[in-house]
Amino acid sequence: MSLENLFKTKQLQPHNPSREAVLRLLQAAARNIADARIEEVSLDTRFDAAYKAIMQCAMVALWANRYRTSTSQPGHHQTAIQTLPLTIGIEQSTVIVLDALRKQRNLSDYEGDPISEQALVECIKQATQLYKVVKSWIATNRPDLK
Amino acid sequence: MLASLLFGIYRQRVLGLLLLNPERSYYVREIARLTNTAAGTLHKELARLAAAGLLVRESVGNQVRYSANRDCPVFGELASILRKTSGLVDVLAEALSPVENQIILAFVFGSLARGEQESGSDVDVMLVGGIGFADAVRVLHPVQATLQREINPVVYSPDEFHRRNTNGDSFIREVIAKPKLFIVGNENELGKLIQDQTASAA
Repeated sequence: MSLENLFKTKQLQPHNPSREAVLRLLQAAARNIADARIEEVSLDTRFDAAYKAIMQCAMVALWANRYRTSTSQPGHHQTAIQTLPLTIGIEQSTVIVLDALRKQRNLSDYEGDPISEQALVECIKQATQLYKVVKSWIATNRPDLK
Repeated sequence: MLASLLFGIYRQRVLGLLLLNPERSYYVREIARLTNTAAGTLHKELARLAAAGLLVRESVGNQVRYSANRDCPVFGELASILRKTSGLVDVLAEALSPVENQIILAFVFGSLARGEQESGSDVDVMLVGGIGFADAVRVLHPVQATLQREINPVVYSPDEFHRRNTNGDSFIREVIAKPKLFIVGNENELGKLIQDQTASAA
Protein backbone atom coordinates (compact mmCIF):
# COMPACT_ATOMS: atom_id res chain seq x y z
CA MET A 1 0.00 0.00 0.00
CA SER A 2 1.24 3.46 -0.87
CA LEU A 3 -0.42 6.86 -0.69
CA GLU A 4 -0.39 6.97 -4.52
CA ASN A 5 -2.27 3.67 -4.71
CA LEU A 6 -4.88 4.90 -2.24
CA PHE A 7 -5.23 7.99 -4.42
CA LYS A 8 -5.78 5.75 -7.47
CA THR A 9 -8.46 3.76 -5.63
CA LYS A 10 -10.10 7.09 -4.67
CA GLN A 11 -9.68 6.59 -0.92
CA LEU A 12 -7.44 9.65 -0.86
CA GLN A 13 -7.77 12.97 -2.64
CA PRO A 14 -5.10 15.59 -3.30
CA HIS A 15 -5.18 18.38 -0.76
CA ASN A 16 -2.91 21.31 -0.11
CA PRO A 17 -4.06 23.05 3.04
CA SER A 18 -2.83 26.42 4.22
CA ARG A 19 -0.61 26.84 7.26
CA GLU A 20 -3.60 28.36 9.06
CA ALA A 21 -5.83 25.36 8.32
CA VAL A 22 -3.23 22.95 9.71
CA LEU A 23 -2.81 25.10 12.80
CA ARG A 24 -6.59 25.24 13.30
CA LEU A 25 -6.97 21.45 13.19
CA LEU A 26 -4.01 20.92 15.51
CA GLN A 27 -5.47 23.39 17.99
CA ALA A 28 -8.80 21.56 17.83
CA ALA A 29 -6.95 18.30 18.59
CA ALA A 30 -5.26 19.96 21.58
CA ARG A 31 -8.65 21.15 22.90
CA ASN A 32 -10.03 17.64 22.56
CA ILE A 33 -7.08 16.13 24.44
CA ALA A 34 -7.68 18.67 27.23
CA ASP A 35 -11.40 17.84 27.26
CA ALA A 36 -10.62 14.11 27.50
CA ARG A 37 -8.98 14.81 30.88
CA ILE A 38 -12.09 16.38 32.41
CA GLU A 39 -13.15 13.89 35.07
CA GLU A 40 -16.62 15.33 35.63
CA VAL A 41 -18.03 13.81 32.42
CA SER A 42 -18.52 10.16 31.51
CA LEU A 43 -15.71 7.87 30.37
CA ASP A 44 -17.54 7.52 27.06
CA THR A 45 -17.50 11.26 26.36
CA ARG A 46 -13.88 11.59 27.44
CA PHE A 47 -12.99 8.69 25.16
CA ASP A 48 -14.87 10.33 22.29
CA ALA A 49 -12.87 13.52 22.73
CA ALA A 50 -9.54 11.67 22.81
CA TYR A 51 -10.52 9.60 19.79
CA LYS A 52 -11.51 12.73 17.91
CA ALA A 53 -8.04 14.16 18.62
CA ILE A 54 -6.45 10.98 17.23
CA MET A 55 -8.50 11.34 14.07
CA GLN A 56 -7.64 15.05 13.74
CA CYS A 57 -3.92 14.29 14.12
CA ALA A 58 -4.16 11.52 11.52
CA MET A 59 -5.91 13.96 9.16
CA VAL A 60 -3.18 16.58 9.70
CA ALA A 61 -0.61 13.86 8.94
CA LEU A 62 -2.32 13.23 5.59
CA TRP A 63 -2.64 16.97 4.88
CA ALA A 64 1.06 17.44 5.53
CA ASN A 65 1.63 14.83 2.82
CA ARG A 66 -0.73 16.77 0.49
CA TYR A 67 -3.63 14.35 0.74
CA ARG A 68 -6.92 14.05 2.54
CA THR A 69 -9.38 11.15 2.90
CA SER A 70 -12.46 10.99 0.69
CA THR A 71 -15.25 11.38 3.19
CA SER A 72 -17.61 10.05 0.50
CA GLN A 73 -15.82 6.68 0.74
CA PRO A 74 -16.70 4.24 3.51
CA GLY A 75 -14.03 3.64 6.13
CA HIS A 76 -12.25 6.97 5.97
CA HIS A 77 -11.38 6.77 9.68
CA GLN A 78 -9.73 3.43 9.02
CA THR A 79 -7.84 4.87 6.05
CA ALA A 80 -6.57 7.77 8.14
CA ILE A 81 -5.28 5.37 10.81
CA GLN A 82 -3.83 2.79 8.41
CA THR A 83 -1.85 5.45 6.52
CA LEU A 84 -0.01 6.74 9.63
CA PRO A 85 3.10 4.60 8.94
CA LEU A 86 3.24 6.13 5.45
CA THR A 87 2.48 9.71 6.45
CA ILE A 88 4.52 10.26 9.61
CA GLY A 89 6.28 6.93 10.23
CA ILE A 90 4.11 5.56 13.03
CA GLU A 91 4.97 1.96 13.93
CA GLN A 92 2.64 -0.88 12.98
CA SER A 93 2.35 -2.00 16.63
CA THR A 94 0.87 1.43 17.41
CA VAL A 95 -1.46 1.32 14.41
CA ILE A 96 -2.88 -1.97 15.74
CA VAL A 97 -3.80 -0.23 19.00
CA LEU A 98 -5.21 2.87 17.26
CA ASP A 99 -7.36 0.65 15.06
CA ALA A 100 -8.65 -1.22 18.12
CA LEU A 101 -9.59 2.14 19.66
CA ARG A 102 -11.49 2.96 16.46
CA LYS A 103 -13.47 -0.27 16.84
CA GLN A 104 -14.17 0.50 20.51
CA ARG A 105 -15.48 3.88 19.44
CA ASN A 106 -17.86 2.25 16.94
CA LEU A 107 -19.16 -0.14 19.61
CA SER A 108 -19.56 2.74 22.05
CA ASP A 109 -21.22 5.16 19.63
CA TYR A 110 -23.51 2.76 17.79
CA GLU A 111 -24.16 -0.09 20.26
CA GLY A 112 -23.87 1.74 23.56
CA ASP A 113 -21.12 -0.53 24.88
CA PRO A 114 -19.49 1.35 27.77
CA ILE A 115 -15.88 2.49 27.53
CA SER A 116 -13.71 0.92 30.21
CA GLU A 117 -11.19 2.91 32.26
CA GLN A 118 -8.39 0.93 30.60
CA ALA A 119 -9.62 1.85 27.11
CA LEU A 120 -9.89 5.53 28.07
CA VAL A 121 -6.40 5.62 29.59
CA GLU A 122 -4.98 4.14 26.39
CA CYS A 123 -6.95 6.48 24.13
CA ILE A 124 -5.68 9.60 25.95
CA LYS A 125 -2.14 8.22 25.94
CA GLN A 126 -2.25 7.54 22.20
CA ALA A 127 -3.84 10.91 21.38
CA THR A 128 -1.20 12.78 23.40
CA GLN A 129 1.61 10.83 21.76
CA LEU A 130 0.24 11.18 18.22
CA TYR A 131 -0.22 14.93 18.70
CA LYS A 132 3.46 15.27 19.70
CA VAL A 133 4.69 13.11 16.82
CA VAL A 134 2.67 14.89 14.14
CA LYS A 135 3.78 18.31 15.39
CA SER A 136 7.43 17.36 15.40
CA TRP A 137 7.10 15.66 11.98
CA ILE A 138 5.71 18.88 10.53
CA ALA A 139 8.46 20.96 12.15
CA THR A 140 11.06 18.75 10.48
CA ASN A 141 9.45 17.87 7.17
CA ARG A 142 7.04 20.70 6.41
CA PRO A 143 8.48 23.79 8.10
CA ASP A 144 6.29 25.88 5.76
CA LEU A 145 3.24 24.60 7.69
CA LYS A 146 4.69 25.09 11.15
CA MET B 1 -5.57 -30.79 25.26
CA LEU B 2 -9.04 -32.34 25.21
CA ALA B 3 -9.27 -31.87 21.47
CA SER B 4 -5.97 -33.65 20.85
CA LEU B 5 -7.32 -36.62 22.79
CA LEU B 6 -10.34 -36.76 20.50
CA PHE B 7 -8.85 -35.80 17.13
CA GLY B 8 -5.50 -35.87 15.34
CA ILE B 9 -3.80 -32.54 14.84
CA TYR B 10 -4.89 -32.14 11.18
CA ARG B 11 -8.47 -33.01 12.00
CA GLN B 12 -8.53 -30.54 14.90
CA ARG B 13 -7.23 -27.72 12.77
CA VAL B 14 -9.42 -28.44 9.75
CA LEU B 15 -12.59 -28.89 11.75
CA GLY B 16 -11.78 -25.86 13.90
CA LEU B 17 -11.48 -23.64 10.84
CA LEU B 18 -14.40 -25.01 8.85
CA LEU B 19 -16.93 -25.70 11.59
CA LEU B 20 -16.39 -22.35 13.29
CA ASN B 21 -16.65 -20.49 9.98
CA PRO B 22 -19.54 -22.51 8.52
CA GLU B 23 -20.72 -19.72 6.24
CA ARG B 24 -17.48 -19.90 4.24
CA SER B 25 -16.01 -22.45 1.85
CA TYR B 26 -12.27 -22.82 1.32
CA TYR B 27 -9.87 -24.13 -1.32
CA VAL B 28 -7.57 -26.89 -0.11
CA ARG B 29 -4.48 -24.70 -0.47
CA GLU B 30 -6.25 -21.97 1.51
CA ILE B 31 -7.02 -24.44 4.32
CA ALA B 32 -3.39 -25.60 4.29
CA ARG B 33 -2.17 -22.03 4.63
CA LEU B 34 -4.66 -21.04 7.35
CA THR B 35 -4.12 -24.18 9.43
CA ASN B 36 -0.38 -24.46 8.77
CA THR B 37 -0.69 -28.00 7.39
CA ALA B 38 0.60 -29.71 4.23
CA ALA B 39 -1.84 -29.64 1.30
CA GLY B 40 -0.82 -33.16 0.20
CA THR B 41 -1.86 -34.84 3.45
CA LEU B 42 -4.82 -32.52 3.78
CA HIS B 43 -6.52 -33.81 0.59
CA LYS B 44 -6.97 -37.26 2.09
CA GLU B 45 -8.19 -35.94 5.43
CA LEU B 46 -10.71 -33.60 3.80
CA ALA B 47 -12.01 -36.35 1.51
CA ARG B 48 -12.59 -38.62 4.52
CA LEU B 49 -14.41 -35.92 6.47
CA ALA B 50 -16.57 -35.17 3.43
CA ALA B 51 -17.31 -38.86 2.89
CA ALA B 52 -18.48 -39.07 6.52
CA GLY B 53 -20.82 -36.13 5.92
CA LEU B 54 -19.06 -33.64 8.20
CA LEU B 55 -17.93 -31.49 5.29
CA VAL B 56 -19.40 -30.56 1.93
CA ARG B 57 -17.11 -30.93 -1.08
CA GLU B 58 -17.77 -28.96 -4.25
CA SER B 59 -15.81 -28.69 -7.46
CA VAL B 60 -15.35 -25.22 -8.87
CA GLY B 61 -13.63 -25.49 -12.27
CA ASN B 62 -10.62 -27.69 -11.64
CA GLN B 63 -10.43 -26.67 -7.98
CA VAL B 64 -12.14 -28.24 -4.98
CA ARG B 65 -13.72 -26.27 -2.16
CA TYR B 66 -14.74 -27.55 1.24
CA SER B 67 -17.15 -26.16 3.80
CA ALA B 68 -18.85 -27.38 6.98
CA ASN B 69 -22.01 -29.41 6.46
CA ARG B 70 -24.52 -27.71 8.75
CA ASP B 71 -27.05 -30.45 8.03
CA CYS B 72 -24.81 -33.07 9.58
CA PRO B 73 -26.69 -34.39 12.66
CA VAL B 74 -23.74 -33.70 15.00
CA PHE B 75 -22.68 -30.36 13.49
CA GLY B 76 -23.88 -28.34 16.48
CA GLU B 77 -22.27 -30.59 19.07
CA LEU B 78 -18.94 -30.79 17.23
CA ALA B 79 -18.82 -27.04 16.65
CA SER B 80 -19.50 -26.56 20.35
CA ILE B 81 -16.62 -28.89 21.32
CA LEU B 82 -14.29 -27.05 18.95
CA ARG B 83 -15.34 -23.64 20.27
CA LYS B 84 -14.47 -24.77 23.79
CA THR B 85 -11.16 -26.34 22.75
CA SER B 86 -8.71 -26.18 19.86
CA GLY B 87 -10.87 -24.12 17.50
CA LEU B 88 -11.18 -21.03 19.66
CA VAL B 89 -10.55 -21.13 23.42
CA ASP B 90 -7.17 -22.92 23.17
CA VAL B 91 -6.01 -20.46 20.52
CA LEU B 92 -6.93 -17.49 22.71
CA ALA B 93 -5.42 -19.11 25.83
CA GLU B 94 -2.15 -19.63 23.98
CA ALA B 95 -2.16 -16.01 22.81
CA LEU B 96 -2.82 -14.77 26.36
CA SER B 97 -0.21 -17.02 28.00
CA PRO B 98 2.58 -14.37 28.02
CA VAL B 99 0.34 -12.00 30.02
CA GLU B 100 -1.55 -14.61 32.04
CA ASN B 101 -0.17 -13.31 35.35
CA GLN B 102 -1.97 -10.00 34.65
CA ILE B 103 -5.35 -11.67 34.07
CA ILE B 104 -7.74 -12.95 36.73
CA LEU B 105 -10.54 -13.83 34.37
CA ALA B 106 -10.86 -14.06 30.59
CA PHE B 107 -13.76 -15.34 28.55
CA VAL B 108 -15.40 -15.13 25.15
CA PHE B 109 -18.86 -13.57 25.19
CA GLY B 110 -21.27 -12.41 22.52
CA SER B 111 -22.45 -14.24 19.42
CA LEU B 112 -19.54 -16.70 19.24
CA ALA B 113 -20.05 -17.81 22.84
CA ARG B 114 -23.72 -18.36 22.03
CA GLY B 115 -22.88 -20.23 18.81
CA GLU B 116 -24.86 -17.63 16.86
CA GLN B 117 -21.98 -16.00 14.99
CA GLU B 118 -22.30 -14.74 11.44
CA SER B 119 -19.57 -14.29 8.86
CA GLY B 120 -18.64 -10.79 10.02
CA SER B 121 -18.99 -11.42 13.76
CA ASP B 122 -16.04 -10.38 15.94
CA VAL B 123 -14.67 -12.54 18.73
CA ASP B 124 -15.64 -10.57 21.85
CA VAL B 125 -13.11 -11.24 24.61
CA MET B 126 -13.58 -9.96 28.17
CA LEU B 127 -10.38 -9.56 30.16
CA VAL B 128 -10.42 -8.71 33.86
CA GLY B 129 -7.15 -7.99 35.65
CA GLY B 130 -4.22 -5.63 35.73
CA ILE B 131 -3.55 -5.85 31.99
CA GLY B 132 -3.71 -2.65 29.95
CA PHE B 133 -5.79 -2.17 26.82
CA ALA B 134 -2.81 -1.86 24.44
CA ASP B 135 -1.16 -5.05 25.73
CA ALA B 136 -4.43 -6.94 25.35
CA VAL B 137 -4.80 -5.71 21.76
CA ARG B 138 -1.20 -6.57 20.89
CA VAL B 139 -1.21 -10.13 22.24
CA LEU B 140 -4.55 -10.98 20.64
CA HIS B 141 -3.94 -9.31 17.27
CA PRO B 142 -1.80 -12.10 15.71
CA VAL B 143 -4.45 -14.81 16.21
CA GLN B 144 -7.06 -12.92 14.20
CA ALA B 145 -5.52 -14.57 11.13
CA THR B 146 -5.83 -18.04 12.69
CA LEU B 147 -9.43 -17.49 13.71
CA GLN B 148 -10.35 -15.67 10.51
CA ARG B 149 -12.18 -13.12 12.62
CA GLU B 150 -11.45 -9.78 14.22
CA ILE B 151 -10.98 -9.87 17.97
CA ASN B 152 -12.60 -7.22 20.12
CA PRO B 153 -10.92 -7.13 23.54
CA VAL B 154 -12.85 -5.51 26.40
CA VAL B 155 -10.55 -4.79 29.34
CA TYR B 156 -11.64 -4.06 32.90
CA SER B 157 -9.79 -3.84 36.20
CA PRO B 158 -11.33 -6.12 38.88
CA ASP B 159 -12.48 -3.01 40.72
CA GLU B 160 -14.24 -1.44 37.75
CA PHE B 161 -15.83 -4.76 36.75
CA HIS B 162 -17.22 -5.16 40.25
CA ARG B 163 -18.34 -1.54 40.51
CA ARG B 164 -20.18 -1.60 37.17
CA ASN B 165 -22.00 -4.79 38.10
CA THR B 166 -22.99 -3.36 41.48
CA ASN B 167 -24.24 -0.16 39.85
CA GLY B 168 -26.41 -2.15 37.45
CA ASP B 169 -24.42 -1.44 34.26
CA SER B 170 -26.57 -3.23 31.67
CA PHE B 171 -23.61 -4.22 29.49
CA ILE B 172 -21.74 -5.99 32.32
CA ARG B 173 -24.96 -7.53 33.69
CA GLU B 174 -25.80 -8.95 30.26
CA VAL B 175 -22.26 -10.29 29.79
CA ILE B 176 -22.47 -12.00 33.20
CA ALA B 177 -25.90 -13.49 32.52
CA LYS B 178 -25.30 -14.76 28.97
CA PRO B 179 -23.25 -17.73 27.73
CA LYS B 180 -19.48 -17.53 28.07
CA LEU B 181 -16.50 -19.62 27.04
CA PHE B 182 -13.91 -19.36 29.81
CA ILE B 183 -10.28 -18.91 28.75
CA VAL B 184 -8.71 -18.01 32.10
CA GLY B 185 -10.60 -18.81 35.31
CA ASN B 186 -14.19 -20.09 35.48
CA GLU B 187 -17.61 -19.44 37.04
CA ASN B 188 -15.97 -19.63 40.49
CA GLU B 189 -13.54 -16.80 39.76
CA LEU B 190 -16.38 -14.80 38.26
CA GLY B 191 -18.48 -15.33 41.40
CA LYS B 192 -15.55 -14.47 43.69
CA LEU B 193 -14.75 -11.37 41.69
CA ILE B 194 -18.22 -10.05 42.32
CA GLN B 195 -18.76 -11.34 45.88
CA ASP B 196 -15.34 -10.77 47.50
CA GLN B 197 -15.36 -7.16 46.58
CA THR B 198 -18.96 -6.76 47.64
CA ALA B 199 -17.87 -8.03 51.07
CA SER B 200 -14.86 -5.76 51.28
CA ALA B 201 -16.91 -2.77 50.12
CA ALA B 202 -19.58 -3.43 52.77
